[in-house]
Amino acid sequence: MTEPVTTMPSPFRMDYTYVAGTGRTAFLRGLSERRLIARRCADCGQVYLPPPEFCSRCLTELEAPFELDGRGVISTFCVVNFPFPGQRIDPPYVVAHIQPHGAGTRPMHLVREVKPGQVHIGMEVEPVWVADDDLDTSLLSIRHFRPAPEGGADA
Amino acid sequence: MTAESLSASYTVEFPFERTVGPTIGAFLGGLRDGQLYGVRTERGALCPPLEFEPGTGAETGELVPVADTGTVTSWTWVRARLGDPVPHDFAWALIAIDGTIGALFHAVDVGGDSGRMATGMRVRARWRAERVGQLSDIECFEVAP
Repeated sequence: MTEPVTTMPSPFRMDYTYVAGTGRTAFLRGLSERRLIARRCADCGQVYLPPPEFCSRCLTELEAPFELDGRGVISTFCVVNFPFPGQRIDPPYVVAHIQPHGAGTRPMHLVREVKPGQVHIGMEVEPVWVADDDLDTSLLSIRHFRPAPEGGADA
Repeated sequence: MTAESLSASYTVEFPFERTVGPTIGAFLGGLRDGQLYGVRTERGALCPPLEFEPGTGAETGELVPVADTGTVTSWTWVRARLGDPVPHDFAWALIAIDGTIGALFHAVDVGGDSGRMATGMRVRARWRAERVGQLSDIECFEVAP
């Protein structure tokens, strides 16, 4: 009988183009100016960050854009301990869903400047922006979130 | 509102390596040796082999060498793209390997002429000279003389 094979390469690769659309384009342009752009649905009151053009529940066009300061609370998180190809940060590190105050959505981002073991659901966090020269139409314009000082300016 | 939408090109890529288990491992080892294998079941030899009989869930038995010829049971014509097994337009087909049950999914090369494809046509494996233990050790199937 022949010598069996134990593993086989099964690589996954896909090239694609992401088209942001009108709503998210405004959001991304805001990020390049350190601004977080949200929009509200007049029908159901949901506030989207980032905002599409239309409410995903009601399909009605969202109201005019307004700004949020990005402070919010951790609604859930995980500690990444596992190394994988293409990883940009040495594990362990924390990835969290963060609900910004005033928003009904929970964008995902890094939580740093705190030990992973001290991160908890409900923790108050604030965005840390990159330097002016590194600002881009990308969520990477926010370097990460960090615990917000108690009783911050607008708390 | 800014009229023009932003867009960007991305590539997602992950270099998976999967374990294949004893049965498919032996099947792939056979491909490396230029020999096609089926696996014994109550209904006959199953090719390509599986660890369990799809119908009953029963464990399959030992591997048995089978022919590298078969009959096309179903096919679809496609235009050749970069990375495909055949450099010109070809068919993806289900092939019933002679003396077995089951269907092997592979490319059939008919020289780019879809008019030569037909359900029930006889085909034979075209083996690569250098084989490594993957399904691509069979370059494609071609019309059996």
